Amino acid sequence: MKAFKKIDRTQRFLLIIIFIYCIIVASRNSAFLSLSTLFALIRSSAGTAILAMGVLMVMISGGIDVSFPAIAIFGGYASLRACMTFGITNMFVTFAISIGIGIVLGIGNALLINLLKLEPFIITLSTASVYFGLMTIMIGTKNVGASLLPPQFRTLSSMKLITTTNQYGGTIGLSVFIIPVVGCIFLTWFILRKTLIGKGIFAMGCNNEAARRAGFNVNLLRIFIFGFAGFLAGVMGIIYIAGTNSVNPVSLVGTEMSVIACVVIGGAAPSGGYGTIFGTILGVILYYLFNQTLVYLGLSASWQEFFMGIVLLISLISTSWQRRVQSRKNFIYTE
Amino acid sequence: MAEEKNIVVAEHISKSYVGVQALNDVSITIKEGEIKCLAGENGCGKSTFVKIIAGVEEPTAGRIVINGKEMTKHTTKDAIDEGIQVIFQDLSLFHAMSVAENIAMNKLVKEGKPLTNKKEIEKIARDALNLIGVDIPLDVQVQELSIANRQLIAICRALALDARLLFMDEPTTALTKNEVDSLLNIVLGLKARGIAVVFISHKLDEVMRIADSITVIRDGHKIGDFAASEIDSKKLAYYMTGRQVDYQQYSRNLENEEKLLEVRNLTKKGNYEDVSLSVRKGDILGLTGLLGAGRTELALSIFGLNKPDSGEIYMEGKKVTISSPDDAIDLGIGLVPEERALQGLFLQKSVNENVAAAILKRLKGLFGNIDSGKSRALAKEAIDTFRIKVYNEDTLVGTLSGGNQQKALIARWAASSPKLFMLDTPTVGIDIGSKAEIYEYIQKFASEGMGIILISDEVEEIVANCNRVIVMFDGHVVKEYTEEEMKDPDIKEKINALVESGKPGKGAAVS
Repeated sequence: MKAFKKIDRTQRFLLIIIFIYCIIVASRNSAFLSLSTLFALIRSSAGTAILAMGVLMVMISGGIDVSFPAIAIFGGYASLRACMTFGITNMFVTFAISIGIGIVLGIGNALLINLLKLEPFIITLSTASVYFGLMTIMIGTKNVGASLLPPQFRTLSSMKLITTTNQYGGTIGLSVFIIPVVGCIFLTWFILRKTLIGKGIFAMGCNNEAARRAGFNVNLLRIFIFGFAGFLAGVMGIIYIAGTNSVNPVSLVGTEMSVIACVVIGGAAPSGGYGTIFGTILGVILYYLFNQTLVYLGLSASWQEFFMGIVLLISLISTSWQRRVQSRKNFIYTE
Repeated sequence: MAEEKNIVVAEHISKSYVGVQALNDVSITIKEGEIKCLAGENGCGKSTFVKIIAGVEEPTAGRIVINGKEMTKHTTKDAIDEGIQVIFQDLSLFHAMSVAENIAMNKLVKEGKPLTNKKEIEKIARDALNLIGVDIPLDVQVQELSIANRQLIAICRALALDARLLFMDEPTTALTKNEVDSLLNIVLGLKARGIAVVFISHKLDEVMRIADSITVIRDGHKIGDFAASEIDSKKLAYYMTGRQVDYQQYSRNLENEEKLLEVRNLTKKGNYEDVSLSVRKGDILGLTGLLGAGRTELALSIFGLNKPDSGEIYMEGKKVTISSPDDAIDLGIGLVPEERALQGLFLQKSVNENVAAAILKRLKGLFGNIDSGKSRALAKEAIDTFRIKVYNEDTLVGTLSGGNQQKALIARWAASSPKLFMLDTPTVGIDIGSKAEIYEYIQKFASEGMGIILISDEVEEIVANCNRVIVMFDGHVVKEYTEEEMKDPDIKEKINALVESGKPGKGAAVS
């Protein structure tokens, strides 16, 4: 209970919603409360959870990034094609190629923002097209079926950390995806909460000029932030390909808004300066909870967008209300 | 201290930008534990001086000696290493971060340790807060604090870096009287520790109480150093502006006794209660009382914001419901709000667009478009009439000084020729020269038949401009001074005494 009080309003709100939703689903369908649901949830949300960490960091710094799906697929797909062409089977190299591309493209975003001094939104909107276009021209967008995937992708896809049997005697297991996910979350948490760079990221999101006056090099910070977001996108690119067990390189593009929605629902301030890892994780969990379990309620997956929209709206209403109360205290009447 | 040590000796400092001489042969010495006021009008060069000492700008000529060391190439880092800290007017705080993080931030960056530690951050913050003897919870977000406490956080942040000389830019502007008092006490505490404090301010009556010396700068020249005891605000105004500033007391000389605005028993719970007042043509009604007395809220209600719970408003004898600023403008009511930059002006727009904003309906062209010729002519006229210092009417309002911004805002309403004009603390943060001009306009409007409500904290301002005055406490009208009473030569002291009596700790407020 003490821990419950320590977290912020948004997180409490999300926890309550998740809790109530789980009770409703469980009461309708007892199959819901099982390890296999949990394992499926973790596996399917892995990619989004990793990307969300990058979006969170960018958003805390007062920016926004819409190019990360393009970066992720660029990194992942290029790495896949390289592995196929050169017969690379080493897991480490596979990740390194994707991550390397991710970091370079991410830093590209930061350099453009620093140079042009324009809104990160319009810059990443254009780089998203540039990056994706570049990939299409250089390596194409040919589908790669499961049978053609190099062995390390298939290993990653099927490897389980823990296995157990379900009530029907089938084998279920916790995907090895949990390792990069936990690693990325921990790394993001560590940077944001335990390092001077993290303090600088919050500071520049609160007040860019004041961060500069405090002695931070905000241009360098931005390079770090977008570079890190690129790194995460690179990791996600490989997870994504392994997760779908085949790849259609155009399918990831356009998913940026749902990742951003998860982060906003998790309580990060789109204006910068505030956001929590835990809130973001709750946002992602909620998204995939709807995604995976609406079927237990007899609803089609299209309801997912609707429910996410409703949750987002409710949290926006609460934010708006708080802000109005705050403004009234300062005699600013907006209604 | 047996021997007074100098922290800063600046000799013959000059600074010129392209074509403009911002500082001309200025020499200033700041001693350990000294409280100094740096006074001067906007653009006189006082901020340039601060920037030079803080290492932000390089002087074109002159010599700077800090703590006995001659600084050849003086950078921001050198300044910070020597214990020189500037607290900017905007405070440069990180609103969504905690008190502890805000206080410790600059020190952390300076030390440059890649990893941070919550305990260490809290220790830095607690030590700094202890220095000024203030207790503020460390984990609260700065945005939840009052402006006064935020100021203290900014001071602590400087102290955490072992500041020996603090520049404070307009520190009292947004503070209530009580808060100013406790700030001044804290500054006296710093002085006792040998820390020097330099106030940069327009509003000097408060800081003069504790200052040791005052240095006046005008047009880039140092006018002189004065002991605080030998100077009064009138003399100071003279040194700052170079001309005698004397405020004419306004008296109404219209025959017409009809009420232009009448407010009856207006109540808004939690804001103000049972307020009745009236304004005739040519009246300048002063509304004073401590900050938070309900004055601003009342004015907003008359302007169609902040809907009242009960009570009636009459305009020219007719009962009216004002539910939006649009209604108010149609009835001929104008408002210069408390925070001109936030609530009044479009900072990113030109003087032209700002001046035209309230009368767009009248600037309609043939197809309902805005007639830009008319609007431009109007803006040019306003710039001339109100002596707004700008390059031309396309200059962005955000680039103007406070005084000129305020004049542009007043020009906007003057263009709409309102019948009732409300000005909420119109001269806060404005230099003396512009202040006198604003008084001149207000009085001119009134003598031409406009009804005016002037909200102000400065009793001097109220006495100089108003022919009738209402004092509010805690949402209630406690006293109305009539035209006759305002002619009393001791009226200033009387109002002052009444306002002071409402201060917490000095007897209960009249209710």
